[in-house]
Amino acid sequence: MFSVLRKGRWAIALTAFFSSVVFSQDRVQLCAACHGPDGNSANPQVPSIAGQPKLFLENQLILFREELRRSEQMLPVVKGLKDPEVIKLAEHFSRLPAKGMETGPVNAAFMKSGYERAKALRCGICHLADFSGQNQIPRLAGQRESYLEAEMRAYRDGKRSGGDTIMAATLYGVSDADIKALAHFLSRSEPRRSR
Amino acid sequence: MKKLIAVAVATAFTIPVQAQDKPAPPPAWHQGKPPAMGESKLAPHPGKMTETPAGEIPVNKLKVPAGFKVELWASGLPGARAMALSEDGKKVYVGTRVIGRVYEVTDEGSKRSVRVVADKLTQPAGVAYKDGALWVFAIDKVLKFDGIAKSGNDAKPEDLTAKFDLPKEQHHNWKYVAFGPDGKLYVPFGAPCNICEPPSKEYAQIRRYNADGSGKEVIATGVRNSVGFDWHPKTKELWFTDHGRDWAGDKGVEDELNKVSKPGGFYGFPYCHNHNTPDPDVKKPNPCEGVTKPVALLGAHAAGMGIKFYTGKMFPAEYQNTAFIARKGSWNREKPNGFDVVNVRIGDDGKAAIRPFMTGFNESKEAYKFWGRPAYIAQMPDGALLVSDEQVGAIYRVSYQKPKAPAKK
Repeated sequence: MFSVLRKGRWAIALTAFFSSVVFSQDRVQLCAACHGPDGNSANPQVPSIAGQPKLFLENQLILFREELRRSEQMLPVVKGLKDPEVIKLAEHFSRLPAKGMETGPVNAAFMKSGYERAKALRCGICHLADFSGQNQIPRLAGQRESYLEAEMRAYRDGKRSGGDTIMAATLYGVSDADIKALAHFLSRSEPRRSR
Repeated sequence: MKKLIAVAVATAFTIPVQAQDKPAPPPAWHQGKPPAMGESKLAPHPGKMTETPAGEIPVNKLKVPAGFKVELWASGLPGARAMALSEDGKKVYVGTRVIGRVYEVTDEGSKRSVRVVADKLTQPAGVAYKDGALWVFAIDKVLKFDGIAKSGNDAKPEDLTAKFDLPKEQHHNWKYVAFGPDGKLYVPFGAPCNICEPPSKEYAQIRRYNADGSGKEVIATGVRNSVGFDWHPKTKELWFTDHGRDWAGDKGVEDELNKVSKPGGFYGFPYCHNHNTPDPDVKKPNPCEGVTKPVALLGAHAAGMGIKFYTGKMFPAEYQNTAFIARKGSWNREKPNGFDVVNVRIGDDGKAAIRPFMTGFNESKEAYKFWGRPAYIAQMPDGALLVSDEQVGAIYRVSYQKPKAPAKK
């Protein structure tokens, strides 16, 4: 084995390549443990990351690592993560197909008022008309309902930092009931992979 | 049951009362969008928060006039914006916005090394260097690092926040800061909206302070969002760039280059723009009366950022005391504008001639095909210019070499 390694730089390069792939796979497993093996989360509190725009996933991983978006769960996982690996992870999960994970009953009143609120707040201008997201802006269609609700409240109440001021300004003064309806409607919209 | 109803009624009342406190504003960048543009897909371009490897920065696509040369001087600085240089130019401190870091770039001759000297801050875009110390301005914090160049990675800054009286709104309150020839620290406070009557009078202005935050003085009002200024080498007057409002069409109101001949001038926001353009949304009688007019217009939505008057010995004499301005590039426009560094000279008649100097960041005149966005300019002790690129997190060095005389036969 030793002599083989000594024989050429090829073997060394291959070993380095192999170990980096293994390392990456470990990280992927770590993500999958909470976000679901295919990036679609079975845990209602944990967001789905499959089919999210690559740049959105990159930015969020960096914001968690830099402690600008604070999360006790995410910080230990991303601490020390190097940029090339952030990019690889984002690429991996952005390519997985997104699935709707809400199986509970559909509330027709919430669906109607959620649709109307989304239209009035013009969510579709940035998140796109089918809410599939683009660039730094996440896919909302098919995202977990309780996660959407919690994050929208955090934005509104100035508790989710990082990024810029657009979401806080958009949700300024929106009632809890409207946020609930928005989350219900968006979580049950047909998810498509972001463009 | 009665009690339950009472609670329900009380809750029902608290919500509208809170909502009445302040009507819900649309997102700041969205404000002032006319109904005709209601469905426009124009939105600010996404930045990039990961390092761009040096090999992926196409510096060979950048074009400069004959005799000038552009090199990639430093990279691996996601979000790089304003640069503050140490006296000997060996250290360059670089502010950022969303990634929350301040970098220190050390010039080691043939190469540069980078360390992060401050992080976890809310948009620490403002950096200023004086007498061995670094001032860092985040939106909500002012830190001073004494003896920064010699400090280790555990440098303990002095927190000067309370002395500077920072307002609470975040939008347009990321900063450019610099020391003037009077030794004062100049700090802008942008309007927290696209177009509005500012919520209180502490916005839309430029102030100066003593270095410790004392002696606050407002030197310009009616300034929408200035994130770049410098002092004319001869007159010592402050010249500042100012971003024009959005959602006023492709021809729009233009970004401005202004000067402060005497402190206290009013520069028009939100009522009057450019030379004589009343705002279509925020109206008052005689909106342009008493307004200090710009020296030059810098293009619609072009995002004129850093400005530097050239005083070095390296460039040809015609550049002496002219201004270089980085235009980061438009978003609120169907066709791109900016994405370059321009050279501005003011003639004896007071008219400005603006010429492209460094181009190639956007690869089409008709569409957004940009790979880089020039943000700020600094002059090195040898007279070369440094230009920061916020998109790929890099700094370029622009130098000049006199063409050799043709060999005699």
